[in-house]
Amino acid sequence: MVLQLVDVHIRNDATGQEVVRGVSFDLRPGAAVGIVGESGSGKTLTCRSVLGILPELFSVSSGHVAVDGRDVSSLSGKEWTALRGSVIGAVFQDPASYLNPSIKVGAQVAEVVRVKKRVSRRAARDRALELFASVRLRDPELVYHQYPHELSGGMLQRVLIAAAVAADPQVLIADEATTALDVTVQAEILDLLAHLRATTGLALVVVSHDLAVVAQVCDEVIVLRDGETVEQGPTDEILFEPRHEYTKLLIEEHLQYGLERFLTPVDVASEVGELEHV
Amino acid sequence: MSEKVLDVSGLDVHYRRRGGRLHALRSASLSVAAGETVGVIGETGSGKSTLARTVLGLVRPTAGRITIAGQEVTGFSGRQWKALRRQGIVQYVFQDPLRSLDPDLTVASSLVEPLLIQGIRAADARTRALAVLDRVGLDPELLDRLPGELSGGQRQRIVVARALITDPRLVILDEPVSALDSANRVRALEFLRQLRLGGTALVFISHDLGSVAGIADRIAVLYQGEVVEDRPARDVVVNPSHEYSRLLVRSAPTLASAARHRAALNGKAVTTV
Amino acid sequence: MLRRVLGLGAGRVALGVLLTVVLLAIFGPLVAPQDPLATSTDLLAAPSAHHWLGTDYLGRDVLSRLLAGSRLSVLGAVEVVAMALVVGAVPGVLSVYLGRAFEWVTLRLVDTLIALPFLVFAVAVTALLGNGIPQAMFVVGLLVSPLFYRVARAATLAVARSPYVEAAVIAGASVAWIVRKHVWGKVLPPIAVALAQTTGVGFVVVASLTFLGIGVRPPAPTWGGVLAADLGFLSYQPYAPLAPIVLIMATVWACNLLADALRDASGVAGRALVLRRPRFSGGSRVKEA
Repeated sequence: MVLQLVDVHIRNDATGQEVVRGVSFDLRPGAAVGIVGESGSGKTLTCRSVLGILPELFSVSSGHVAVDGRDVSSLSGKEWTALRGSVIGAVFQDPASYLNPSIKVGAQVAEVVRVKKRVSRRAARDRALELFASVRLRDPELVYHQYPHELSGGMLQRVLIAAAVAADPQVLIADEATTALDVTVQAEILDLLAHLRATTGLALVVVSHDLAVVAQVCDEVIVLRDGETVEQGPTDEILFEPRHEYTKLLIEEHLQYGLERFLTPVDVASEVGELEHV
Repeated sequence: MSEKVLDVSGLDVHYRRRGGRLHALRSASLSVAAGETVGVIGETGSGKSTLARTVLGLVRPTAGRITIAGQEVTGFSGRQWKALRRQGIVQYVFQDPLRSLDPDLTVASSLVEPLLIQGIRAADARTRALAVLDRVGLDPELLDRLPGELSGGQRQRIVVARALITDPRLVILDEPVSALDSANRVRALEFLRQLRLGGTALVFISHDLGSVAGIADRIAVLYQGEVVEDRPARDVVVNPSHEYSRLLVRSAPTLASAARHRAALNGKAVTTV
Repeated sequence: MLRRVLGLGAGRVALGVLLTVVLLAIFGPLVAPQDPLATSTDLLAAPSAHHWLGTDYLGRDVLSRLLAGSRLSVLGAVEVVAMALVVGAVPGVLSVYLGRAFEWVTLRLVDTLIALPFLVFAVAVTALLGNGIPQAMFVVGLLVSPLFYRVARAATLAVARSPYVEAAVIAGASVAWIVRKHVWGKVLPPIAVALAQTTGVGFVVVASLTFLGIGVRPPAPTWGGVLAADLGFLSYQPYAPLAPIVLIMATVWACNLLADALRDASGVAGRALVLRRPRFSGGSRVKEA
C-alpha cells in the first residue's frame, strides 16, 4: 500500500470548522484513484495533507495518513522533504507558477534530479533529457534550453510532470492538472499519466471537478461535497449506478448538456471502433 | 427564424507582429439567425476571441464584411460604433465574472450602467434592473452589494443580467460555464436554454466542445483562424467531417469515452507489467 | 472617500491640523496681535500675556511673525501640489486616452525632466525668473511632477485594460464616462496619497529655503526665518526654537498622517494601486503596471 488515508478530517484552526470530514482510501502500487468535487469541496486540502503542505491554520484533526506504510503525523520537516519527490510527487493546475521564469526549464528539472538523486550535473542533465522524452516532449534538446514563457501550457505541464517523476516516486498526485489546458491537450496529458502508470507502475491520485476526466484514468472514484465523501466506489459503479443525488447530478449534466446528448450507444460503439484503428 | 442577427463573411484579421504578420482569422464566415444558438469552438490561438472582438468592433478586420441586424458595420467610424453599441443590440459576457465587474461599484450601478450610457433616466433604469434581476433569479437585496461580496454563481448571473438589460438580440458568451461548479453550471445552462426560447440569439465561445454541445443548435469549429466546420451540433458530434473536429470529439472527456479508455488501459497494463 | 478618511481617527487629526494651518494662512495676518515687522525695545522677551510666544532679537512679536509666515509656507506647498497635479497627474491619466502622439510626447518630456540635473536646473530657473519662493517652488513642482505622471499613468493603465472598462466600451460609453465612472475612483487614491506626502515635502522645502534665507528678503516673516533667528540666541532663550519647530513638524506630520489615512480609506481596487511609499526624489521611477 503506497498511500493510505483513514477517515481523514481537516480542520481550520482559526474558525474551528472541519472542512474535510472523513476521506478514506487505499492506493496500491500502480492503481489510480480519482477525487471529484468542486472548489471548496476539500479535494485540494486532502491532497495537500498527503503532501504535508496544508496551508497555515489548517491541520489534520483526526484520522491518519500513511505514505509507503509510514504514518506521516510524526514526520519532521526534513523527513517530509525527503519523502516528497522520492515517494510522492504532485502537479497542479497552473504549471507556469511552479517554474522560475528566468531559468531555462531544463536546468530547473536537472536541479531537481541532482538534489533528489545526488548525481553529478552531467548525469542530472542526461536524466532530465530522458525524462523529457518520457513525458513525450517532442524535442527534448530544444525544450531543455527554453524558458517557461516560450512553452505552451501543455508543454509546461509535461515539464512539471517530468520534474515530479524525476526521483521515481511511487505516487503522483494530479490536482486539476489539466483544467487550464485545451481539450485536445488535456486528452494527451491524461494519456501520458495513464502511460506512466502502465509502464512504471506509478500510482495516481487524479483530482478534478469533472467526473468524466477522473473516470478516464481511475479505477476508483471518490465524490466529495462540502468536505464529505458522498459516494465512493469502483468507477463503473459510480458511472452506471450512482446512488447519491449529487453524483446523479454530475452524470445528468453530461447526459443533458455534454456530447453524450448526441452519442447514442451505437455511436459510442462506432467511435470505439474508430479509435482502435487510430 | 430566417432573419440574420449577425452575418460575417470572408473575415480576415492580421495582427502586426515582430518578424511578420499574424493571421488571427482567415476568411472566416459565420451567420447567426434570430433566436439561434451557435457554439464557436476552438483552442487557444484559434482566433475565437479575435472573432468576437471583431464583431464587437474592438478589432478592425483586414478584409471581409460584418452585418449586424441588417446593418453593414464594416467601415464604421468610432462614432458610428458608439451609436450602434448604445442601441444594445449585441452584448458580450466576459469569461471571468469577477474581473468584468468594477470592484468599487455596487451590483445596481454595474447593472444599470449600459442603460445610463444610453441616456435612460436613473429611476427607470433601476426598475429595469429589478426586472432583469428577477429574470436571472436573483434576490433584489443583492443590488446594494459589491461584487466581492457575492458568490461565483451569483456574479455569473449578474454579468448575464447586465448583458440582458438592454434587451439584446444577440449575446456572445465567452466560456460561459467554465468558471462554474456543476450545480451552478446546470442552472446556468438551463437558464440560457430558456433565454433562447425568448428569441435572443446566443453565441457560445468555448475551447470545450463538450461544455456547449448540449445546448447549441449549430457548432462552428475554428482551427488556426479558419472555420473548418459549421454544421448542426448533432452532425459535428456524431459525424465530424474535418480532421480537427474529429480530434476534438475524441478528446472531449465523456462518460462513454471513460469506460473505453480504462478498458484500453487495463489491457495495456496487463501486457506491460 | 473624504467620508471614509474622516471615519479614521488619524484622518480626522490630520485634516484638523492641516485645516488649522490653512485658516492661519488665510486669516493669520488679520488676527495677528501685532504688526509682524514692528520692532520694539522689548528684546528677546519671555512669553507673556502681551507677547504669547515672546519676542525676537529685534523685539518683534514671534506669534505675529509665525502667523504672517504661514501664508508663504501654505502658498509654497499649494504651488507644488498644483504643479504636480497639472503637469504630472492629469497628463498621466490623459496619456492613456489621448492617442499615441500625446502619449509619446509626454513620456519623452517626463524622461527629460527626470534626467535634468536638479541644481543646474534650479539655478537656471532662478536666473530666468528671479530669486524667490514662488520660483523655487515652481522648480520643486516641476521636479516632482514626473512621479505623479507615472503614478497616474500606471494606475490608469491598470484600470483601462480591465474587462469592466471594456464592458463599458461595448455598452457605448464615451472616454469621459469611463474616466469618470471607472478610472477616476481608482486613480485618485494613489494620487491623493502621493499628493499628501508631497505637500509635506513642500512645507519642508519652504521652511528649509527660508531658514537658509534663500528666496526671501529680510525682514519678511517666515517659519524658517523665525527658526534661524531663534537659533542665534539660544543662550538667552533656549526654548525659543520650539515654537517654529513644533509648527513645522506638526504640519509635515499631519501631511504624512493624511497620506496613510488616504491609503487605508481607499477602495479595494484603489488600494492595490497605491505604492508602498512614494517618495520625492528626482530619479524615482514608478513601474508601469
